[in-house]
Amino acid sequence: MNRLHVAACLLPMLANAAPNAALAQSVTVAVAADVRSINPGVNRDDNTDDFALQMVEGLVGYSENGTVSPLLAEKVDVSSDGKTYSFVLRQGVKFHNGADLTSADVVWSWNRYMDPKTDWRCLSEFDGRSGLKVEVVEATDPRTVVMRINRVNALFLDTLARTDCAMAAVVHKDSVKADGSWEKPIGTGPYKFTEWKRGEYFSMTAFDAYKSPKEGAVDGYVGSKRPQLKEVKFLIVKDPATVKAGLLSGAIDLAEILPSDVEEIRKNPKLGVVTAATATRHVFLMQTRDPLLNNVKLRQAIAASLDMPELVAAASNNLGTPNNSPIYSRSAYYGPVQKQGLRYDVTLAKKLLQEAGYKGEKISILANKRPTVPSFSAAVVAQAMMQAAGINAEIEVLDWATQLDRYNKGNYQMQSFSFSARFDPALGFEQFAGPKDKQPRKVWDNPEAQALIDKSMAVADKAERQALFDELHKRVILEVPLINYYNGVDVIAHSKRLKGFQPWQSKLRMWEVTVTP
Amino acid sequence: MRLRPLNALLGGTLIGIVLLAAGLGAVWTPHDPLRLSLRAKLAAPSAAHWLGTDEFGRDVLSRLIVGATTSVWISLLTVAFAVLFGTLIGIFSGYVRGWADRVIMSFNDALLAFPGILLALGLLAVVGANKYGIILALGIAYTPSVARIVRGTVLSLRENEFIAASRVMGNSEAYTMARHVLPNCLAPLTVLATSMFGYVLLAESSLSFLGLGVPPPAPTWGNMLAASRPYLGQATWLGIFPGLCIALTLLGINLLGDAVRDQLDPRMRGAR
Amino acid sequence: MLRFALNRVTMAVPTLLIVAVTVFVLIRLVPGDPAALMLGDLATPASLADLRTKLGLDRSLAVQFGIWFGNLLKGDLGLSIGTQEPVLSLVLSRFWTSALVVLVAVLLASLVAVPAGIIAAWKQDTVLDLALVAVATLLLSIPTFWLGLLLLLLFGLELSWLPVVGYVSISDSPLAGVLYLVMPVLTLFLHEIGVLMRMARASTLEVLRLDYITHARAKGLSEAAVLWRHAFKNAFGPTWTLIGLVLGNLLGGIAVVETVFTIPGLGRLLVDAIFARDYPVIQGCMLFVAFSYVVVNLVIDLFYPVFDPRVTAT
Repeated sequence: MNRLHVAACLLPMLANAAPNAALAQSVTVAVAADVRSINPGVNRDDNTDDFALQMVEGLVGYSENGTVSPLLAEKVDVSSDGKTYSFVLRQGVKFHNGADLTSADVVWSWNRYMDPKTDWRCLSEFDGRSGLKVEVVEATDPRTVVMRINRVNALFLDTLARTDCAMAAVVHKDSVKADGSWEKPIGTGPYKFTEWKRGEYFSMTAFDAYKSPKEGAVDGYVGSKRPQLKEVKFLIVKDPATVKAGLLSGAIDLAEILPSDVEEIRKNPKLGVVTAATATRHVFLMQTRDPLLNNVKLRQAIAASLDMPELVAAASNNLGTPNNSPIYSRSAYYGPVQKQGLRYDVTLAKKLLQEAGYKGEKISILANKRPTVPSFSAAVVAQAMMQAAGINAEIEVLDWATQLDRYNKGNYQMQSFSFSARFDPALGFEQFAGPKDKQPRKVWDNPEAQALIDKSMAVADKAERQALFDELHKRVILEVPLINYYNGVDVIAHSKRLKGFQPWQSKLRMWEVTVTP
Repeated sequence: MRLRPLNALLGGTLIGIVLLAAGLGAVWTPHDPLRLSLRAKLAAPSAAHWLGTDEFGRDVLSRLIVGATTSVWISLLTVAFAVLFGTLIGIFSGYVRGWADRVIMSFNDALLAFPGILLALGLLAVVGANKYGIILALGIAYTPSVARIVRGTVLSLRENEFIAASRVMGNSEAYTMARHVLPNCLAPLTVLATSMFGYVLLAESSLSFLGLGVPPPAPTWGNMLAASRPYLGQATWLGIFPGLCIALTLLGINLLGDAVRDQLDPRMRGAR
Repeated sequence: MLRFALNRVTMAVPTLLIVAVTVFVLIRLVPGDPAALMLGDLATPASLADLRTKLGLDRSLAVQFGIWFGNLLKGDLGLSIGTQEPVLSLVLSRFWTSALVVLVAVLLASLVAVPAGIIAAWKQDTVLDLALVAVATLLLSIPTFWLGLLLLLLFGLELSWLPVVGYVSISDSPLAGVLYLVMPVLTLFLHEIGVLMRMARASTLEVLRLDYITHARAKGLSEAAVLWRHAFKNAFGPTWTLIGLVLGNLLGGIAVVETVFTIPGLGRLLVDAIFARDYPVIQGCMLFVAFSYVVVNLVIDLFYPVFDPRVTAT
C-alpha cells in the first residue's frame, strides 16, 4: 500500500511517466482526524461512523431527507398495535467473506450489541433505560427477523438507523476473534476494510459482489450504492492549509475545506467545489438561569440586535442561509412556519433593553477555535452587533473540552455552540430541551414544551407531528432560550477527475463516485 | 569598519518606535481596532486602510498599534519574571551545590521537561485565560531554562581564581555572588532574555495555531500572525505586517542588548 | 566520570517522580471530561455513566492514581482512552519519528550556526556581523507554522520537488521516507539556526575578550589557530548546554511542525491527547518526554568537560 502511494508521489518528480491505469482507480481523501476504532458503533465519533458505514449496513437507514427507509431489509411491517416489527431481508446480499446474509446473522449481531461487554454506544437506547426496550428478537425464517418493543414508539426505526449507533449494523460472526474480541468489520457494505495505520491513514477497497439496495439515484444510505473506486485511502491531515496545498498539488483528490478557501480553490481549473446544507445547527445558547439572562426581555433584545443575513454571511463566508428554526432546512418538517424567524430591529432591541432594566452589565460569550465550526467568527460578529445595540458583550475563548464541560454543567451566560445532526425534529428539540435540575446541560427548561416534545415522540401521524413542531418553533422564537442562526454547510473540494460525489450530512460517501484516469 | 555606535543607534531607534507605538496605541489609533466592517473584508492596503483590513474588515494598522501595547507588555513582564526567578534559582543552586542543588534541579528539570503547551493549558485553566494568565504560564515555562543556563555559568565560574580570591579576601558569599558571579552571568542572560522576548511574542501565536486560542480583548501581534495563516494566499499582508513588527522589534532588542551588555560587562570596562 | 554519571541518574529519579505526580494532578485540574468529549452533544446521562464506568473515571482520584502508578512500576502505562491502544507502544512508535526529525535538524543547525556565530563574533561590529545577526533574528521571528507553510507552498506546490501530504516511515521505504522528512527538518533547522547562532556568538565574544586570547595573539598565533584552539573550544560550552535544552524542548514541542507536515510524531500525539483529555496518553507522553530529556541532558553534561576545560566533572 505504502509503496503505491509513494510511487504516486514520486512519479511526477522522477520521470514524467504515463499515469498507471491501476493507480488511477485509487483515490486519496483527506480527513481531519483518525478513526477511533474499526468496531462500528462501539468506540466511535462522527469520523469513525463515516468510515464504518461505507463497510457495514443495518436493517434500515436514513434517506437523503432524513426519513428512514429499508436497507438490508426489503420491507418492514409494523403490527397493528405498533409494537412488533417484521423485517424481511433482501435476497442475494453477501458479506465481504462471501457468506450469504441470513436472519441468523441479524440475531447474532443484535445479541452481540446488547451484551454489555460489547460496549455498544447505543445500548442504553434499547435496554429500557431511555424508555425504549427491545424485548424479543427472533428469526422466524431464514429471511425474516421479528423485533418486539415494550411500547409504541414513533422513533424506534429512527434510533435503529442512527449513524452514531452505526445503524445497529449486521456483521458476520468472523468479524470477532475466537476469544470474543473484535478483529475487523466483515459487513455487507459497498467497500471492504483494507488497512488502518494509526495516526496516518485508513483505507478500503471495492466489494465486487456488492448488491446495491436500489438502482438509479444516490439517496442517503439507502439509494444506489455501487462501489466504483478500486481503493479509497483516507489520509489524516490536520492542518487545513496543508489540505489545501495537497489538493492543489494533486496529492489529495477530495477533502473538506474551509469556507474561506472556496474562492481560491474554484479558480483552479483542476479542482471543483460542492456544497450542501446539513442538519448541524449553529446556535447561541443562553443560560436562562443566569441572573441577567433569566429576563426574557433581555434575551429578546439580544435576538433583535442580530442582523441574521449579515451574521450568517460572515460566519459561513456567504455559503449559508439563515435558519432560526431548530428544524433543519432540508427536513421533511421544515415548512412555512419554520421559515418565520427572528427579526433584526435595533430600535426594538434598545427598547427591550430599557424595559429589561439593563444597565450595561457584562455578558460573556464562550467560544472555541475549532476550524470545523464557526464558533469563534460567529461570536466576533455577534459581539459587534450586540455592542452596536448597547449590549456589553465579551468573548471568552476556551478549548473545546473546557467549553463542553461548561456546557454540560450549565456554567455560562452565552455560548457560541453547534448541535450535531439529528434528523427527526423531536430528537432535535429534545437535544436542548429538558429539566435543568436533572440535566444541567439542558438549555430550555419549560414543562409545557416538554409535554409537546414527549407527545411528538409517541405519535406517528405526520400532520399531527407537524402541528406540534410548529407550536414548538413559535415558542422557541418567543422565549429565546437559544438562537438558531444557520445550518452547517459541507464544503467539499475535489479533483475534477472525480465524478459523482455528493456531499450529504458531512458524510464522505464514496459509492457511485467514479474516477477518470 | 566598526559599526558599534550605528548598531546601538539602529537598535535604539527600532525599540523607540515600538515603545512610541505602544504609547500611542493607548490613546489613539486611526480606526477603532475592534470595529467590524463585513463589507470590506480582506481589503488590500489603500488610502483608507494603510495596511489593509483583516478577515472581519478590521483595520490592520490600528490593530498593530494596539497590539504593540499588549505584546510588549506581555513579553516584558514574562521575561522579567523568568529572568528574575531563574537567576535567583540558578545562582543559588550553582553556588551552594550539594543536596540543595539536587533538589532544586530535580524540580527545575521536571518543569523543563514539561512541554509549554501543557503548562499553559493547565495554568490558564487555573488562573483564567487573560493577559496575566498568559504571563504567569509563559513566565513559569521559561524560568527553568534561565535557571539552568545561570547555574551552568556559575559552575564554570566558581573554579576561577577571582572567585576564590574574593573568598580568601574575606568577602561574604552574598557579596561574592553579587560582585563577581552575577556580572559574569550577564552575557548569556542577555542573549537568553532577548531570545525569550521573541519566543514570548511567538508563543501565543503557536498556541493559537494549535487551537488553544487565548486572545485577550485587545489584539496581539502573535494572535494576528496566527489568524492570518488561512489567508496567506489571498491576503499576504495580513501575516507580513505583524511578522515584520515582531522581527524588527527582535532585531532592535538584540542590537540594543549587545550594546547594553558591553556597557555592563566588567571585563569590557577594564579593557577600556 | 562514572560517579558523576551515577549521580545524575539518581538525580533523574526524583525528577521523573515529580513529573508523574504533577502531570497527573495538573491535567485533572483542567476542566473537561474525556467521556463527555467522546459523546459530545449526543450524550445522555445513561450513556455518559456507562462510558465513565468503563473507563474507570467514576473512581476517586486517589484510586485512579494508585492504579496508574502501580501499573507504571510494572512498566505498564495503561491504555489510551481514545483508541484503547497500549500507551507504551503508542509512545515508542511515535517517539522515533520525532526524534529523527529533531536530531537531524539540531545537528545540522549546530554545524551551521556555531561556526557562523563564531565568525560573527570574530568580525564583531562589521557589516558581516550585522548581517548574520539580522538573519538569525529574522529566522527566530518567523513562527514555524508560517515557515513550514511557506516551504510547503514553495517546494511542494510551486516546484513540485517534494510530496505535500502523507508520510512514509523510513523503515518502510528509505528513499521515500527521507523525501517526506526534508521539509519538516528544514523548517526546524532554519528556526534553530537563529537560536544557536546567537548563543555561539555571545559565548565567543566573551572568550575573545579574555586575556589569554590576547596572549595567544601576542604569541603570534594565526587568527585561525586562535579561533579554533582557544575561542571555539571555550565558547562551545554554553552553546552545548543550549543544544541540550533545545533537544529536550523540541521533543515535546514539535507538535506544530508535525501538524503542518502530517507526521505522526510524539508532539502531535501529546497535543491531540491534551485536547481529547486522554489522560493515560498525556501521562505516558509526559513521562517519556521527561525521561528522554533527562537522558539527553545527562549525555550533554557528561560531554561538557570535553568542550569546556574550565569545568571538571566531579
